[in-house]
Amino acid sequence: MKILIADDSRVMRQIVTRTLRQAGFGEHDLVEAADGQEALDKATSESPDLVISDWNMPEMTGVEVLRKLRSAGNEVKFGFVTSECTPEMQQQAEAAGAAFFIVKPFTAERFDEVFTPILG
Amino acid sequence: MSVDVVLSEGVLAEMVEQVWVSYLDPEGVSPLIQTLDKNQPSEVHSSVSITGSWNGVVVYASSTAAARKAAAAFLAVGEDEVSQEDLSDVLGELANIVGGNVKAMLPAGSALSLPQVVLAPETASRYPSAERVAGLYGTWDGEPVSISILQSRADVKEDTE
Repeated sequence: MKILIADDSRVMRQIVTRTLRQAGFGEHDLVEAADGQEALDKATSESPDLVISDWNMPEMTGVEVLRKLRSAGNEVKFGFVTSECTPEMQQQAEAAGAAFFIVKPFTAERFDEVFTPILG
Repeated sequence: MSVDVVLSEGVLAEMVEQVWVSYLDPEGVSPLIQTLDKNQPSEVHSSVSITGSWNGVVVYASSTAAARKAAAAFLAVGEDEVSQEDLSDVLGELANIVGGNVKAMLPAGSALSLPQVVLAPETASRYPSAERVAGLYGTWDGEPVSISILQSRADVKEDTE
């Protein structure tokens, strides 16, 4: 499976990658995006099976990326990994069609719990 | 609602402990030990602003050695492999994580800025229109680390009226 990791922080993309590996998902094909626009472009051009996105990014927020994908008919599994977790954000994420919401800091156990049903 | 109550130092300590457990000290061998010294020195710092229903700044400050150690832990590399860019990125991410968690405790309707990193002591940045409302000061393997929450004076005045 192909996973797109969208986060403007290089460090956080590395941590997400490492945590995926620790949670046992290291064999998947990983692609990265460093801002919202790149996330939108790669979610289309790379046809990932899963998008793991930050919320607060330059160019476009994660939820805007998700809304644009859905309005273009793209139903890729999409969720958020973010340090911000307010009820209003969770509601927006859910309304836009997000499959999960992971709050930073996170652990490999949390990744396992969220991604096992999605990645098997 | 008084925001000062929401942002108690106990809650801040719990949040920071999560960062240590998840990234900086997963083995539980070198926790952040609180010193309660508000004036401990720093060599580098990072911050995020929160604006909207609550206005203020969250500042992460430490020695360069503690920032290097944090970068090595975040990136799973040796401390001697940490570049200046790694140091900046990790400091920015630390402010972002703590700031995001602080924002989650505040009333709805605020936005979090992208982080700003300054490779100079915390005293190099001034926030003339804000005052410190909560803080956590400690040492990590003997190196100073602090997290401060500054709130806009206009907001503080409103709360106390």
